[in-house]
Amino acid sequence: MIELISDTGERREMTINMGPQHPSTHGVLRLELVLDGEIIKKVKPHIGYLHRCFEKYAEEMDDYAKVIPYTDRMDYVSAMNQEHGYVVAVERMLELEVPERVEHIRVIVAEMQRIASHLLGIGAFGLDLGAFTPFLYLFTEREKILDIFEKVSGARLLYNYMAVGGLMRDVHPEFKEDVADFVKTFRPKIKELDNLLSYNKIFINRTANIGVLPVEVALNYAASGPVLRGSGLKWDLRKDDPYSIYDRFEFDIPVGSGEVGTLGDCWDRYIVRVREMEQSLRIIEQALESMPDEGDVMEAIPKRIRMKEGEIYVRTESPRGELGYFIAGDNSASPFRVKARAPSFVHLSMLPAISRGSLIADMVAIIGSIDIVLGEVDR
Amino acid sequence: MLTIIKQGWSTFKSIFTGMGVTIRHFFGPSVTLQYPDERYELPENSRAKLYVNIDDCIGCNLCARACPVNCIDIETVPATADVDLGKTSTGNPKRFWLTRFDIDMAKCMYCDLCVHPCPTDCIYMVPEYEYSEFDRTNLIYHFSNLEPEKIAEVKEKAEIEAAEKKKKREEMQKAKAEAARKKKEMEAKKEENEKSGDDDNAPSKPESDGGE
Repeated sequence: MIELISDTGERREMTINMGPQHPSTHGVLRLELVLDGEIIKKVKPHIGYLHRCFEKYAEEMDDYAKVIPYTDRMDYVSAMNQEHGYVVAVERMLELEVPERVEHIRVIVAEMQRIASHLLGIGAFGLDLGAFTPFLYLFTEREKILDIFEKVSGARLLYNYMAVGGLMRDVHPEFKEDVADFVKTFRPKIKELDNLLSYNKIFINRTANIGVLPVEVALNYAASGPVLRGSGLKWDLRKDDPYSIYDRFEFDIPVGSGEVGTLGDCWDRYIVRVREMEQSLRIIEQALESMPDEGDVMEAIPKRIRMKEGEIYVRTESPRGELGYFIAGDNSASPFRVKARAPSFVHLSMLPAISRGSLIADMVAIIGSIDIVLGEVDR
Repeated sequence: MLTIIKQGWSTFKSIFTGMGVTIRHFFGPSVTLQYPDERYELPENSRAKLYVNIDDCIGCNLCARACPVNCIDIETVPATADVDLGKTSTGNPKRFWLTRFDIDMAKCMYCDLCVHPCPTDCIYMVPEYEYSEFDRTNLIYHFSNLEPEKIAEVKEKAEIEAAEKKKKREEMQKAKAEAARKKKEMEAKKEENEKSGDDDNAPSKPESDGGE
């Protein structure tokens, strides 16, 4: 047994490791916790267990297109959004015009992916806090999205579906009906989720007033996405710095309001994700309506990418926050430098600031609420 | 007191609303599949395993070059002049013996990038997913349909032909060099003659050189 009180009668701190093989650290994350009893005094995240040299790989590839499958593997929960960011960056650098149909399909699959990612995030969040049932129901829905993606791209998780200037293949003929069907069946499920989890008293007690992130702290740490919106700031890159064709769609930006606790607590971050799924459905519906039926999705793909010298930083809204790609090109066929600004990494860095003084059990809730993917943290 | 009752009531209510959802799901249709007994039918363009129709392959090496993880290993030997390998089903003439066409499925990342550049559409993904092995070397698929003896034979033949060609080329180069040397000599002689014939006209000489 470890003695917590020393010979001289002082209270001693205890250091324990949480992870890397802990079920609620969402991957291989090790947290060094300095504890006073059950209260957390210090947190130090140790990362790098999943480092795969994405950026170095991107430099070594002899084609810009060969980087796309590696972007999938960064945030494997929302691969479509990662690809979307990368291809938008390369296209802006090449000043490439992308056909309408391609843009619409991209937006539809990206929004579906956002829903799938949030479903996993919310499901795993509930699972961490002991709510097993919602996890299974949400995964049923996620499975439907993955089934559509499998028909569309041929893969269930790592799609490599978007190409610079187009798509790797056209969607299957029943794509529109499949997506419309999904939208129709999914809407009532959000209501169900509210009944089952969002307003469950036990869940609220575990998440409200926990891990409060004031908006100033969030801004100082450069938080983005649902984490920043959970703190009450309306900031969505799809509206504030539109890319692709997001400026044509009508949707709201849900923000946290401190409905059941303090503004910026775990529940606020959670509910922002739930409300965002509704808005994604709205975008999908509008995109389905305006999507052209005819058109070659591969016509604008350049045979060989000849990049001119220059650099670009493009930021897109991934389900986790601001996903930025900085690409520096020289005159060769491979990028000189690719840097990915991963939102999970940024959000993990503010973990010490928001978890100081909370209990170990709340640490699980905080990690779940910032929804990190270790593949993206380590890249 | 009132708040405690209120809290208790909301807890009670929220738990029972949740239970209601669970019970509704309980009577809904099952969404799971009992895997080894039932199997999930993959869509036809699913990417699960690489396949090469070797009869259509022309050995252009484009797929190997497109692969980000270098899992395709191709070795080709040019066909000698006396053999005709025929044409592929798409009408492209075949010019190479494919002595090796290995795909390491353990390395493959299923990205589909090798499929698109193929000029004869002979490499593609097929929806087969049950191919696990106990030994990793079994995941290296050998698509070349030539026997080792045949490979040795074509290699030898190709080497002989290449050697002959090289010899011929060398001879030709030699002949060329010889001719060039002779020409130079002739020119030098001519120049000398010109020089001895006309010594005073020095400035005009470079021009005449350039002209020649």
